[in-house]
Amino acid sequence: MKRKMTKAEKTEALWGWFFIAPTMLGLLILNFYPIVNTVWQSFCKTGDFGRGNTFVGLQNYIDVLSGSEFWVSLFNTFKYAVIEVPFSVCIALVLAVFLNRKMAGRSIYRTIYFLPMVAAPAAVAMVWKWLYNQQYGLLNHLFGSSTGWISDPKIAWISIGIIGVWSILGYNMVLMIGGLQEIPRDYHEAADIDGASPIRQFFSITVPLLSPTIFFIVQTRIIGALQQFDLIYMVMDTSNPALSNVETVVPVFYRYAFTYGNKGYGATFVILLLLIILFLTVLLQKAEKKFVFYN
Amino acid sequence: MKRKCRVMAAGLAAMMAVSAAGCGSGGDAPASQGGAGSADALEVKIWDSAQVDGLQQIADEWTAQSGIKVNIQVLGWDEYWTLLEAGATGGDMPDVFWMHSNVAQKYMENDLLLKLDDYISQSEDIDLANYYEGITGIYQLGDAQYAVPKDHDTVALCYNKAIFDQYQVAYPDETWTWEDFYEAAKAITDAGQGSTYGYSIDVGNNQDGWWNIVYDYGGYVISEDHKTSGMDDPKTLEAMEFLGKLIADTMPAQSVISENGSGTLFTSGVTAMTTQGSWNINTFYTSDNSENFAWSVLPYYDQNGNGTADPGERCTIYNGLGWAAAAGTDAPDAAWSLIEWFCKEENQVKQADLGVTMAGFKGASDSYPSAFEGMDISAFLDMESEGTLVVRPCSKYTTNWETMMGETLVGAWNDVSTMKDACTKIAAEMNAQLAQE
Repeated sequence: MKRKMTKAEKTEALWGWFFIAPTMLGLLILNFYPIVNTVWQSFCKTGDFGRGNTFVGLQNYIDVLSGSEFWVSLFNTFKYAVIEVPFSVCIALVLAVFLNRKMAGRSIYRTIYFLPMVAAPAAVAMVWKWLYNQQYGLLNHLFGSSTGWISDPKIAWISIGIIGVWSILGYNMVLMIGGLQEIPRDYHEAADIDGASPIRQFFSITVPLLSPTIFFIVQTRIIGALQQFDLIYMVMDTSNPALSNVETVVPVFYRYAFTYGNKGYGATFVILLLLIILFLTVLLQKAEKKFVFYN
Repeated sequence: MKRKCRVMAAGLAAMMAVSAAGCGSGGDAPASQGGAGSADALEVKIWDSAQVDGLQQIADEWTAQSGIKVNIQVLGWDEYWTLLEAGATGGDMPDVFWMHSNVAQKYMENDLLLKLDDYISQSEDIDLANYYEGITGIYQLGDAQYAVPKDHDTVALCYNKAIFDQYQVAYPDETWTWEDFYEAAKAITDAGQGSTYGYSIDVGNNQDGWWNIVYDYGGYVISEDHKTSGMDDPKTLEAMEFLGKLIADTMPAQSVISENGSGTLFTSGVTAMTTQGSWNINTFYTSDNSENFAWSVLPYYDQNGNGTADPGERCTIYNGLGWAAAAGTDAPDAAWSLIEWFCKEENQVKQADLGVTMAGFKGASDSYPSAFEGMDISAFLDMESEGTLVVRPCSKYTTNWETMMGETLVGAWNDVSTMKDACTKIAAEMNAQLAQE
């Protein structure tokens, strides 16, 4: 039975709307409107300065999917994700376990590992670019080599992946420490009494009980890695000979939309990427039921 | 406490509403507002921080006379164009700003720039015949003029005397052909044994690099009607073939050039020579070892074999920025008055005096070299008197084919035997793009 709202309830509802209005408006204007507009533009041949957009149906999608650029950049994107996600998660897990124990200088280590997260991504990219520099870089200076860390097509993608891992490690670690502290001490104490080795405890107690946190990190990092932009944009110059082996989807989108001013064609790239990410998220949610252990 | 929350929420909501209103304008409507520039202040945007002091000084004299303040804001090159395009799309452009040949046609065709013809015909100070024709032409569409030339630039050769002395190679001079240049660069590279090289340019060093060679050989990048590419012209290919020799025998690996830039490789003493545009002089003038640097005119290519540099054999690509105003500015008269002030002969001379840039007004740049005490940069002016000026190749979407050109040439730089294929590929792609403009 539907019941009429009392006056007090009405006022309360009104105030409720009023309080969420700022966030709602912000989301509508800054997120939803651009998303809808981007989808629309991907079906258009866009004119200069946002004028004279003509609807061309699926033409952009046909062009993008039949060309090699999208597939190459998608392959590069997955290459990057394959380095960033597993390494940043595994190393962060080990670090978190160590830094969760009582040890001297614990907070100093935690701070050091978290620092890259505080630094601006552009600054991080510039510093690494100098470390990797073929002519003057610190790495080549130390090893006495002349390796093109970021311009040799064979290794550039690994070099970029290393920056990605380094940047995100501390953040993953902090999340994991948070997860570790949720695990009741009793389990480990009981395992100690039963004589389980620390390694056995790690795999049989820590990992399963931490799996919700690990899953959360893996999921967000996969999405984040697929959207990689700033690292590539900052580190790889347009004349870098390894660019086509490293350039991920979002920088290609940026090039079309903002350098070439072809917003419709560029929009198509990101919409396709969005669909891929949506699909992966669905798969991950399915996987969650299978692999993640909830108390 | 509750009361306080209410006030805060109301404030937040009001803020959101205001910013929403700010975002709302735009869409398909033509630019209707000229930004913050009301009649008592003009908003000016430029991209070169090295020029801002001199220009502000000239603008302040205009303020003293007109009572209108001039706020010059400097952005980086990339940000400048992103911002200007966003402003043009949303209807919020600066009042007065710089225009560049790469995009001028796109802005003019979309009626975003203030038409200046009526102002020019009534002006006592501006007669377009006094400015470099090529640059005036860049900012014309049909019969209409949309910007007045602010400056012009040329290209010259900078060399490191210390390296030339070390390897006992004679300094460059005006008798050098590109072949002489090659021999000297190769001698230094061979003697340098992997630590010193003769020369370096990257794929993107076109205006200040390989485009000049293309025109010296009688080739071209884009046809005069901006409809076809000249990258597969036999003479262009001949020039590119020679460039391939330079790349293979006188330059460090392309990856090194790409990571550092040819300017840095030169100032740090890795390369003995660099070709540079006049907009970059300050980098070399203020460099730590600038006492080793000297300038010479670009070499020439002796097409007819008579042993002298004839017209068309020593080319310098030249370009010039234009002072333009937004079509939708609130204060078109004031905007024009400022443009007129920047571009009139007296202030063009002053701009050169102050070392801001060479002038867009013909003959007003003579004092420019004296702004660089202790360094002789007269080679940039000699390029005009002894060489041939070629307007920077451009079309409606210059950036698109220029970027494609660079990306395609990366392969040729790394394997010069593919140079011809790369050029043919560029020509085909460029023709396809030009056909759609």
